[in-house]
Amino acid sequence: MKLRQLANWEGALAGLIVVEILIFGAINPSMLSLNVLLYSTSDFIYIGIVALPLTLVIVSGGMDISLGSTIGLSAIAMGVLFKLGLPIELCMFLTICIGALCGLINALLIIYTGVNPLVITLGTMYLYGGSALLLSGMSGATGYEGIGGFPNSFTDIANGMVFGLPFPLFLFIVAIGLLAMILHRSAIGRNLFLIGQNDRVAKYSGIPITSTLCFAYSMVGICAAISGILLVSYFGSARSDLGISFLMPAITAVVLGGANIYGGAGSIFGTALAALLVGYMQQGLQMVGVPNQISSALSGGLLIIVVVARSIVSHRDVLLDKWSRILSTYQLAKETK
Amino acid sequence: MIVGMFFNNSHNYYHFVTGAQEITKYNAYDSEQLIIQKTNVHNRVVFGGKMDVSSSTTPSPDRELVRVQSVSKQFSGVEILKDINFLLREGQVHALLGGNGAGKSTLMKIIAGLLQPDGGEITIRGKAIKHFSPSTAHKLGIYLVPQEPLLFPNLSVRENILFHLPKTQEMELKLTQTLQALNCSLDLDSQANTLEVADQQIVEIMRGLIRDSKVLILDEPTASLTPKETQHLFAQMRKLKAAGVGLIFISHKIPEIFEIADNVTVMRDGCIALNEPIHAVNSNQVISAIAPQCKIDRSKQENGKSYDFQLTTQFHTADVVLSVDNLTGEGFKNISLEVKAGQILGLAGVVGAGRTELAETICGIRKPYNGHIQFGSQEISKLTFSERLQKGIVYLPEDRQSSGLFLDAPLSWNVRSMVHNRFGFWLKSPLELKRLNSYIDAMAIRTTEKDQLVRTLSGGNQQKVLIAKCLEATPQLLIIDEPTRGVDVSARYEIYEIIRFIASKNVAVVVISSDLDEVELLSDIVFVLHQGEQSGQLVGEKISVENIMNIAFGGDKETNHA
Amino acid sequence: MLSFIKNNRESTVLIAILILFLFISLADSNYFHIQTLTMVFSSAQVLILLAIGASMVMLTRNIDVSVGSTMGLSAVAVATALNAGFPLPIAVLIALCVGAACGFLNGVLVAIGKIPAIVATLGTLGLFRGLMLLWTGGKWIEGLPNSIKNLSSSDFLGISYFGWIIVLITAGFAFMLTKTHFGRNFYAVGDNLQGARQLGVKVDMTRIIAFTLNGTMAAMAGIVFTSQIGFVPNTTGNGLEMKAIAACVLGGVSLLGGVGTVIGAVLGAFFLTQIDSVLVLMRLPAWWNDFIAGLVLLSVLVFDGRLRISIEKAIKAQRYARFRADATNENDDKPESSSSISTGAKGRELL
Repeated sequence: MKLRQLANWEGALAGLIVVEILIFGAINPSMLSLNVLLYSTSDFIYIGIVALPLTLVIVSGGMDISLGSTIGLSAIAMGVLFKLGLPIELCMFLTICIGALCGLINALLIIYTGVNPLVITLGTMYLYGGSALLLSGMSGATGYEGIGGFPNSFTDIANGMVFGLPFPLFLFIVAIGLLAMILHRSAIGRNLFLIGQNDRVAKYSGIPITSTLCFAYSMVGICAAISGILLVSYFGSARSDLGISFLMPAITAVVLGGANIYGGAGSIFGTALAALLVGYMQQGLQMVGVPNQISSALSGGLLIIVVVARSIVSHRDVLLDKWSRILSTYQLAKETK
Repeated sequence: MIVGMFFNNSHNYYHFVTGAQEITKYNAYDSEQLIIQKTNVHNRVVFGGKMDVSSSTTPSPDRELVRVQSVSKQFSGVEILKDINFLLREGQVHALLGGNGAGKSTLMKIIAGLLQPDGGEITIRGKAIKHFSPSTAHKLGIYLVPQEPLLFPNLSVRENILFHLPKTQEMELKLTQTLQALNCSLDLDSQANTLEVADQQIVEIMRGLIRDSKVLILDEPTASLTPKETQHLFAQMRKLKAAGVGLIFISHKIPEIFEIADNVTVMRDGCIALNEPIHAVNSNQVISAIAPQCKIDRSKQENGKSYDFQLTTQFHTADVVLSVDNLTGEGFKNISLEVKAGQILGLAGVVGAGRTELAETICGIRKPYNGHIQFGSQEISKLTFSERLQKGIVYLPEDRQSSGLFLDAPLSWNVRSMVHNRFGFWLKSPLELKRLNSYIDAMAIRTTEKDQLVRTLSGGNQQKVLIAKCLEATPQLLIIDEPTRGVDVSARYEIYEIIRFIASKNVAVVVISSDLDEVELLSDIVFVLHQGEQSGQLVGEKISVENIMNIAFGGDKETNHA
Repeated sequence: MLSFIKNNRESTVLIAILILFLFISLADSNYFHIQTLTMVFSSAQVLILLAIGASMVMLTRNIDVSVGSTMGLSAVAVATALNAGFPLPIAVLIALCVGAACGFLNGVLVAIGKIPAIVATLGTLGLFRGLMLLWTGGKWIEGLPNSIKNLSSSDFLGISYFGWIIVLITAGFAFMLTKTHFGRNFYAVGDNLQGARQLGVKVDMTRIIAFTLNGTMAAMAGIVFTSQIGFVPNTTGNGLEMKAIAACVLGGVSLLGGVGTVIGAVLGAFFLTQIDSVLVLMRLPAWWNDFIAGLVLLSVLVFDGRLRISIEKAIKAQRYARFRADATNENDDKPESSSSISTGAKGRELL
């Protein structure tokens, strides 16, 4: 049964995380300290925060490759709004609204045009990224400096602690709880699964497709905005290029987490565990002294191995059929010699 | 190594690879020659020679085209084919019947080279075949016309039919001639995705005909054809028979089998249940071979069976639930009818008569051009599909696999899919399982696990799940489109009882069916639709298959003279 | 006019290119010269090569997001080979082989491993980029011999040596895809995989070849890039895969397979680059480029989508035309051939 399979998968991921930390810890014992484990998440947890709602979108059969640009747009919006003199709380609120709006536009364009979500969000990726650059350029901030000058109360957010956890990690856990409840226990979550499995049957069953998709894509936008705000707080400056490199790792986390890229299956916990798996791998490699370059090769390699293994397991019949065909050709050739 | 040289003399063309190390000539038949060439390096087996149907010697029914011996095949540990023997001779139409899951498609795919058998032997025209692929099957003259058309939507019709064939004047002429023989007017330059399903099916059949196949496998070719088109197809099949082609004809329609076939084979659960010449059997024997435990009980008696469905309706017996007034829409015109609570209205007609379109307009998927739809006392033409669903207008779609059920979702998800949005933000899992179990018990749905995927159920059980899904939405008006399509005979009668019970609870039921026996069995009133217009109406005693047929075709004579 | 645009996407893009050219010429008459176009063509060469490769993969209903990394890896290959002393043709060959191998791996993962293309190429994106960074140690490769830089400056009719190669490649692929059975296989596989398989097309081989060709094109793009810029930065190719896909989509190649031509992809790539160049020529600050590119792409997509929807509506309206007429026009219906009485109605079942 599918749920059982998924639970097995998540178990395997959790196991892999433990193994991975142990291996790195064996080489560099400081990896095993709780402090290090917690604090190092601040580098990569932002990917996790956007990967979680991206699971919702992918489960519904869609895709959003504009999230990196939304992060950048949110980041620069924070800066611009702040420079305009608005109180910092209002800036954050408006930035989140901008993120939600970006997601909503994605959903409406996809529904209105009927075009493949990948292609639509390719367009909005350039649009939002371009808007970020535009804002950045018009406000006089050059690419690498960004807008700075934020008050300490703001920059402390990303570095602060809640319940003994770094704030970004805390938000991540809250997001896991919230989105897991939504995806797996709510009517909207059920709608997402069903739309992803067969949108025609969903239509004939009276499932509210438009509102459900708008919700999912807006969630991506909101979390992208939150990620952007956290990044601005973490770096202390608002730059338009923040988040560009998050897209591929986020999709990797969702796929590694057990979601079907075509929709209809997925798990929030799986995505969260996969995000941690990949994140800790990069951290661990750094701590062990492996050059940064190899980490992208390894995450890419990891993804391929995992996906190939999964494919072999689920397609073993077809593969056996092919294999027997190849064998019989070989035998035929040998016979006729 | 020079790659290829094509000769084209008037009847045959040879395709071979020069530079080969070995050339073996092989005589499959007296009149034809196959040249098998193997290279030492590549073991590429290249067959040459086009099967020329028209110039072969007179077909002899003793010549075997396809001989299948002791073939078996299993998928994931489940045995789909067990020790199958099958024989097709020249000039023969061999009909193949069986319920869903009996293994017909698997056997045909093996013969057509799409699957490898696990055991057994296949002999094509006297030569045992060890290694098979679709292209070798083509070169041997075997062509499989699939059940669902597999056309290339963005290529033209011409390109679809002539795919991979040389584009010569000769071929073009042959194409137009074959089209004419089928009495078909297709625009060859139009894109395949603009065609209706019936036309797509004809294109698939054309693909088989144009390749001068020696063995033509037709998998349910008449599913979407009108009677006239079916007759044209049968005429072509008879011509091919006379020219020595062997045809395998898969169908669910027993009358057709008796009309066209020479031999009949029935498969059940992966074995051969019956294999006789057609004149040696009657239709009852065939039906009982397909499904031995079905009760052929055609009496319309009061059903004693009571089901534990929680059906409530605001309407009292004989209240008018649905009233359609002069409705015109996509595919139908000037329809006026009434359905009362507790009544079963049968909507009869041919595929393409407009019944599904009418049903979809009533439930809100399509928009009407003109006219009124009233539900109870309310005009509902402006309401959306969801709003009408909320009111209790429930539509059970014709194609359960593509519009009715989420095949990869668990049963409980499917059963609740129309209603889970009505009960607040959060789902109620224990309740869902309880509801599912109540339906499983009530309708005797055969399951193997607690909440399995719908895909793993048989056709009849899937249909019951679909009915459960519709019942869960507390219908006041239930429109069922083709209640027993693809359902084996034993489950059919169970479904009829269920429908009668639903009506007895004062739900207004509309049954759309192309099976006249079914319409006769179930309906209190029958409406006949022909080409989108009302042809006539039958009530009570007058309902019979002959009367329905008369209205459907007899009334037509009058409108032509109007 | 709508169906003209639908059926002749390439001509539409060509017209758009000409309109843009006229527009910039109106703004500044100095630009009304063939040189403007050839300059755009030069800048567009890398993207054009990537788009040609991407279009072949997209025709088979797949996607390849690793071409940026493949391009980078091949650029490193050719640069390293040149610096190690290999003659230019050998270095180029090595780079092409690297690209082909990358594409081949992608093809095998998708066709034989049955992994969805976006996932497989996502993995290889990381893998190839990692390999590239490993190979160079993260450093730029500089100090390349002039032989490679000269390739993009030599001139014949105003177009560089590479430019002519691109023209030949485009013509070659266009011919292959429209006139040969091998080329039509790409369309068939993308349009209906199962149908193609049943008609005897070797679908696995076709897809693997499509990816391998794509990898080779990416390698060519890497070579051209190296030649034009003169060195190999460690971010070579980053993000270009998306631009290539955008170019294909603009040119009418559908992500769903079976639709589009190589010429369309080339024109799309040219048009995208032309927009960039026009913005530069108009002296608009660089931070406008992406925004305008996004706007253009989205407008085209919205237009495409609505166009398809309206065409479907028109087909439906035509199919049901006789039902739209008012009830009073009943008698105008022409008798249809299928309304005659069926002859073989022995059976009790209607179809």
